[in-house]
This record gives sequence, C-alpha cells and structure tokens, in this order.
Amino acid sequence: MNRVLVVAGLLLTCMAGPILAQRPEPGPANPFRGKPEAVHEGETLYAERCTGCHGPNGTDGEIGPALVSGERADFGTTDGQVFNTIKNGIPGTPMGPQKLADDEIWKIATYIRALRGTALDNPLPGDAAHGEQIFWGKGQCGTCHMMGGKGGLTAPDLNNIAGTRKASTIIDALTKAQHHEYGSGGAHLKSLPSMESYLPVHVIAGDGKVVDGILLNEDGYSLQVMGNDQHLYSLDRARMRSVVVQPKSLMPTDYDKRLTPEEFKDLLAFLTRQGTKPPPPTPGRGGPPRGDDQ
Amino acid sequence: MNFRNAIFAGLLLVGISSLTTAQVPTTDHPNPDPKDWPTYAGTDSGQRHSPLKQVTAANANRLQAKWVYHMDGANGMEQVPVVVNGVMYISQFNRVDAVDARTGSVFWKYKRPPASGTPQRGTAYYNDKVYMVTTDSHLVALDARNGGVRWEAKSEGGYFLAGGAPLIADGKVIVSGNRPDGFVQAFDAETGKYAWTWSAVPKPGEPGYETWGGAKPQGGPMWMTGSYDADLNLLYYGTGQPNPQWTGFERPGDNLYTDCIVALNADTGKLVWYFQNTPHDVHDWDSTETMVLVDAPFKGQTRKLLLQANRNGYYYVLDRSNGQFLLGTPFVSKVDWADGLDSKGRPIVIPGHEPSVRGTETCPSTAGATNWPAPAYSPDTKYFYVTVAEGCGINFITSSTAPDAGTGYIETANAPWQAYVRALDATTGKKIWEYKPVRSNHYGPGLLSTAGGIVFVPEQFGQVTVLDAKSGKPVWHFNTGDLITASPITYSVDGQQFFAIASGTNVFAFGLQEVNP
Repeated sequence: MNRVLVVAGLLLTCMAGPILAQRPEPGPANPFRGKPEAVHEGETLYAERCTGCHGPNGTDGEIGPALVSGERADFGTTDGQVFNTIKNGIPGTPMGPQKLADDEIWKIATYIRALRGTALDNPLPGDAAHGEQIFWGKGQCGTCHMMGGKGGLTAPDLNNIAGTRKASTIIDALTKAQHHEYGSGGAHLKSLPSMESYLPVHVIAGDGKVVDGILLNEDGYSLQVMGNDQHLYSLDRARMRSVVVQPKSLMPTDYDKRLTPEEFKDLLAFLTRQGTKPPPPTPGRGGPPRGDDQ
Repeated sequence: MNFRNAIFAGLLLVGISSLTTAQVPTTDHPNPDPKDWPTYAGTDSGQRHSPLKQVTAANANRLQAKWVYHMDGANGMEQVPVVVNGVMYISQFNRVDAVDARTGSVFWKYKRPPASGTPQRGTAYYNDKVYMVTTDSHLVALDARNGGVRWEAKSEGGYFLAGGAPLIADGKVIVSGNRPDGFVQAFDAETGKYAWTWSAVPKPGEPGYETWGGAKPQGGPMWMTGSYDADLNLLYYGTGQPNPQWTGFERPGDNLYTDCIVALNADTGKLVWYFQNTPHDVHDWDSTETMVLVDAPFKGQTRKLLLQANRNGYYYVLDRSNGQFLLGTPFVSKVDWADGLDSKGRPIVIPGHEPSVRGTETCPSTAGATNWPAPAYSPDTKYFYVTVAEGCGINFITSSTAPDAGTGYIETANAPWQAYVRALDATTGKKIWEYKPVRSNHYGPGLLSTAGGIVFVPEQFGQVTVLDAKSGKPVWHFNTGDLITASPITYSVDGQQFFAIASGTNVFAFGLQEVNP
C-alpha cells in the first residue's frame, strides 16, 4: 500500500507540473472513450511503447511507476491528463514526449482507462433480469456457485464478481478453458488461472472410506477438500490409499455455444452488475475507530 | 462433459439437495463440543475455560509449534479465532480466512472491499455461518463451508459498529459500537432481520436522563463482546466512559448508563438491571472488561455470579440474576481515588483526583488496572485469572473552565507500569499467586484456562508461557517473535489438543510433540 501511495503521490506531483498546488486541467475529451476496438489497438501500442518502463498491463516496471495497482486504485486522472502526459512527457523524469500520432495516444489512454476498475464500472448491455433467470435455470450456474445467499458450495461465491473482475475476465471464464484473470485495477491476480483450481478429487482413505469433492488446497502432506457432502475435509496424504485429481475444473467453458447469443448477452448483463462498489476511502489511516481502548 | 464428470455432477446435485433440508444448529454455545471454540470467549459465560485436558502441567514441557499461519496485509492482530469441526476462522475487518485447524492450510478466503489492516477482535460461529463486522458498519453472515455471503445487514438508526466480535444469543447476532454513543444491536441469525437496539445513554424523558444535570447524555462506548446466560435469557455488556471524557463539570451527576455493567433481555433489548462501577467518571475507566458468569457458592449459598475485574482497580462480584452487589475489593496494590466501596458497591470517592492543567496523579492509570485482555476462570481451582497492570497515571486538561479541555494521560515516572498475571480467589478477590511477565508494562494479552490444570499466558513482548493453574509456576515457554495483543484459544482435531494465539500478523498453533507428529 505504501508503494501505491508513493506512486500515486509521484503521479500527482508530476501531473501538477509547473502549476503546483493547483488541480491539473482535465485536458481534452477522449474521442475513443468506451470503444472496444480502441482498447484493443491501445493494448498493442502500449505493449510496443510503454511496457519497457511501466510493465505489462501497467503493473509497474524497472523505470516507470505502476499505472494500475493490485487493488482498486483510481489515480484520479482524466483521459485528457493521460493524453497530455504521453504527448508532452514529464520534465525532469525519464518520461519523455512520445512521438506518436494523437489518435494513437488516445488509444493508449483508452487502454489505460480500461485497465482500471472492474465490470461494475462498465456493465455490459442486455436484459439483466432475464440473465438472472438463465443463471438459475438453463445456465445451471447456481448448481455450483452461490449468489445472493443461495446456490451451491463447490464453486466461488459470485456475490461480488463484478466488483472484483473485469467484464473481459468474466467472458473468458465462460468461454475459454485457459485464461488470465484480471481484477480490480487491472493487475494480474496472484492466483492460478481459474481452470487449474477447484479441481474434482477422488480420495480413498487407508480404511477404504471414499471422499469425493473439490480440491481447495494441498501440499506434500495434506489435502483440503470440499466434499460433495458439503463438509470440509483435512486429509493426511500419508494415510490415503489413493488420491486422483481430475486435470480440469467442472466449470463449462462453452456458454457462448450452449446458450443462444441473446441468452449469453443477458447472462453477462446480469453478471457484470453483481457487486458492491467499495465505499470511498476515509481520510487518515482508514477504518473506523474501535473505541478508546487505550 | 465426459462420463466421469457426468457422474461427478450427479453426485454434486445429490449433495446440494441436502442443503434444502432443515438445518439444526450445530453449535450450542452454553455448552459447545469441547473440541470447538465457537465464540469469542469459548462459551457464552466468558470463562475462557476448556474441558480439554490432553495437555497438563506435567506434560506441557513437550508442547511444540505445529503450524504458523501468516495473514498478509494484517496489522498487529487482536482477533481471537473461532474453531468448529477442525476449521479455524481468522479475521480482520472485511476479511475472513478459513484455515485447516490441523495443518494451517487455507480452505477459503473471503474479502470485502476496501482492504483494511485495522484490527478487529474476531467472529462468531453459529449454524454453519460465520458472522463478521465490516469497516462500513455491516454485519455479514458467511457460509462457514465456502465463505459465500448468506446475508448482510447494515447497522440500523445511524449507529456505527465497532470491531468487537459478535455474540450469538437466543437465535440472534448481537453486535455493539461507540458511535454516536454506546449501543447494542440485535439481528436474526438466520435472516439478518433487524431486531432491536439498546442505547447506553438516555434520551430526554427516559430513566437516567436526570443524572446528567441537564447536559446532553453522551458516550458510553461499547466496544467489547458481552456474555450471555441462556437460562435467564440475559445479555451482559459493559459500557464505557461519559463524554466529555476528562472533564466532568459540564455534566454533573452519575451520567447513567456510562461505566456500567448492564443486563439486557435478549428478546427485547430492554434493560433489566444495571450496576455502575464508576459514577461520573473523569478517568476513562470503561466497564467493558469481560464479564465472567459463574455458578458458585458465595458465603455458603450457591448463586449465579457475575465476576469482573474493572479498569478502575476493583474486582466485583455481583448476583447476575438481579445485579445485587456482593463484593468489591482492589486487585492492584494501589487504588488511591476511592476509599473503598459502600454497601451498594458505590465508590467512596477521595476528592482531588480530577484531571488538572498541571496534571493529577491517579492510581490506577487510565489504561486501567486491567483492560480488554480477557480474564479466565477455572471451575476446578475456582480461581479468577487476570492480567493486571500495577502503576499510576497523570491526567491533564488544558483549561479548568473550558468544556471538554482534556488532553489525555501519561505514565508516571515514580509509579511505572508493570503487568502481572494474577490468580484471585473468585469469591473473595484474594490474591493466591502472581506471575510477572518481565518487560510487559502495558496491558497485555488475554488468558485461557483448561481442565488440564494449566493457564495459557501470552505476554506483550511475544512469549507464550504455560503456568501451573494451582501454583502459577511456569512449565513451558515459546518466543513467537512479535507483539501479542490478542487472547489465546484451545481446540481439538483428530485427538490432538491445540492452543492458538495471534502474534503480530501470524497465528501460531501448538500441540504436544508425540501426538500426530
């Protein structure tokens, strides 16, 4: 967190430039804002021009600061300010003026904006109420996932999925066997790709007892399993007769095919609206007073 | 989906259908399964005593660390984990990690934005749910099996929840807080439906309002978990100091219901009785210290007792059915602000101890003769074990005429603070033995007693020590390497008794060497 604050502080200082103590001008409006193709082109341009200093996906590099963070971080900069920074550079820093066409700079700014925030900031269009019916009905999502206090226990709770994932990650999870997870702030989560977690496991204990379920955790000595009987198990590897882990999650990745285009669109409209926006940060050290216990 | 997966999915569906069957509470907090530690104090009684006895004073020297769980992003943890059915729930504000209590490996994690490093004091388990409070004053019920959100509710009426662990009573989740004034609130444990609020300060026209001399009643923060007697259906909570905190001339009177032990009807939240430890407090002697409920003979008659070592330096024995004062005696060597207690338990105040511009020395200090670190009671020894702080403080104000001019307090140079762990005879308050945690000067961690005849004693500077419950002699110790500001627990998995304590940002678990090596 300190690092983020320092980086945020640097950015603000840099942005302020010669008019210290004044808020920087918001800059011109972004002509490409919200255009998916601009995000895509911006990503390519970013990879060519920016990754060397700012790191892949803006997560930080050897020379430049992170443009996003592992947790939700809104640096409070407008697209116009990002445009000005890229076009003019920041005097006294390695960030020099970039020799790019204005349209190219705007596309990079559009991409950086897309890196920040989650699906909740930009929910996808569609009939969310119909999408909810798909979630519990034809899609069978609720068989394994919880939402709104009901549903299955063997897959992650999706109560705040749009507050923790980007729309693109949600689409990928429904359509691709292997994908990266992008969450709040755009950073690559320090977790395994989702298809390599929540694996089905079949265990036969030394006494012949069978446990079937989902593997939640393991090391060289123990396994942590959510059993199909809804109980959590801690199993000693040395005492097990056999442990068979299926290589693939039960999560289907063909929802774009098993649902009609309309149904899929509406399901996404529902999923990208499920979450809670975090409350604005409190000034000072954060958190409520716990009472005067000193 | 291949054939095998299809079979698996079928099994899943069978399993899930069991969710729809009626669920019975899996935990009975008055007498939980001894292997579990489902609530802040282990049981509703606040005794922090476990019937587990695999570890004794004779074999405690064979204790060893079994695992350590690091909670990344945490600050000095004050939380007391809860353990049910071999799963440990470790918490911070907005976060619960469910950990294999046998190995320390994670089952699941729940996080709610924003990330917070602010310590809170724990969760409560009931009927397959874990209850937590958040920094934005929500109460969240998590499914104990996967961390899914079963329901969440915002505190009612503009009250803001503090970080005390929730308490389960009468099918309700009981939470409390300090803002705008002390309060207790109850929600249905199954649905999250709001039930009632009790306010520590009265409104105009309500009983107690007349004790403020016309001033607006303020304060009474309630930042600690209470205790519960299911037979009497009474909740016991402590309230904190009146406001302004260090000056009293603006609020002449006793300032009810601040610095009180209160008994509330768990169904309605109505006040049944109160006992005020420190009327008209100007030293911030909150009465929030854990209330220990014990059925024991008092002067030849078995009574339902409530025991509390109070921040003001007195150890109290009350009849918890009606609030009757039975006994009050100092449990630290120097209490100079009162010349004892009268027959009703009211302190006979010695004038001249109000905070002043030049500073006024008072013993004990504002930090208290004891504070929130939990005491313990053993029904075997009938001793009340408590961490105490000997020493005095100097309280200051910046003006003798301006309202709310207090600035706080410092430790005195001539009566510096030193922590002790003391065993008191529970019904007389007489000191039986004491143990000195060397270097510990501030109020330290809480305590734990077990049927194995030991007291588990973490120390401020990171040592954990096991004492013989009868003699107070240390029989084992371990350096955790960080400051400890939490209370220990004990539980059992697969025939192994464990002890656990949060130290800094880690939770340590200990057990005997040769069991489940």
